[in-house]
Amino acid sequence: MGIVIAVISGKGGVGKTTATANLGLGIAINEKNCIVVDFDIGQRNLDMILGLENRVVYDLVQVMDGEAKLKQAIIKSKVNENLHFLAASQSKDKTVLESKKVKKLVAELRESYDYVILDSPAGIESGFEHTIEFADAAIIVVNPEVSSIRDADRAIGILDSKSQKVKNGEEVAKYLIINRISAEMVQSGEMLKSEDILNILNIKLLGKVPEDRGVIDASNQGKPVILNKKSYAGQAYTRIAGRLCGQKVDMKDIEISDTGLFKKLKGMFK
Amino acid sequence: MFDWLFGKKESASIAKDRLTIAIMSDRDSMNELPFMSEMKAEIVEVVKKYVGVRAVDIKKEIHGDLEALSIDVELDSTGGDNKLN
Repeated sequence: MGIVIAVISGKGGVGKTTATANLGLGIAINEKNCIVVDFDIGQRNLDMILGLENRVVYDLVQVMDGEAKLKQAIIKSKVNENLHFLAASQSKDKTVLESKKVKKLVAELRESYDYVILDSPAGIESGFEHTIEFADAAIIVVNPEVSSIRDADRAIGILDSKSQKVKNGEEVAKYLIINRISAEMVQSGEMLKSEDILNILNIKLLGKVPEDRGVIDASNQGKPVILNKKSYAGQAYTRIAGRLCGQKVDMKDIEISDTGLFKKLKGMFK
Repeated sequence: MFDWLFGKKESASIAKDRLTIAIMSDRDSMNELPFMSEMKAEIVEVVKKYVGVRAVDIKKEIHGDLEALSIDVELDSTGGDNKLN
């Protein structure tokens, strides 16, 4: 029996799909059997980030509607044999999902994989609600920026009221990834500190990911940035995946970097 | 860091203050319970048996992991079905 994790954000464009792809691959690299599922019906993107867009034959809506078998629709990654992928439907819209069918699909996936990671659509509408409904845990992705943080708080509020676990009187685990941190901007007081974001959202930190040009370079090629050992964002995802696999990985404080202004300032006081 | 130098507040701390207020108000409006007005009416009925009631205010409060309903009943000494004084 695996664990089901929904990756959510509220606001779009903060790096949810990138996080899903990299954590999925990171978990697979840690030799756990993992499947990543694109729940963003009508705006399929996880296939592109994983470089699997040419191999999609059947999607999850076809599986839920009985038009295809689950085994036929699941794609095995070329990069790591522990990583599997189930695509969203591109031709339908988010309203096609039904609670009963989602429940059945999630239960089946939980039987076969150690980790089931669901990439939620942005927003807080029905597509989002279906993604979180049967999840054991949620990873909330934010950028250190007011609109992202405010929208994340709304998404967390809905998670706390609509999750099946909460309705059963249990707790749904929630963890935060702060993405696209610029150490230089935090140091100069132009960007919110992680500590402040955690206090405002009242949530546990899973990891911090720095702003990194390597992320776009990776998505251009369909090779998740975690494969790029030199990339700081890739290294951050490696640490986060390790934590998700139960390893004790120290929280690296990427907000204190020895680059730019901060380095110069430190130099001045030497 | 440069507050003292330029007399300007760092924008990150402005963001923190604005977010704290915006999120507090978002959470308040989300905690409007659907059965609130019905529950208020019933509380008024019960309390009115003993003392006069001017207003009832119900708030959902969240303190960490604890959720509570805070109910304020404002009394009206001139009313009530069964007057105490």
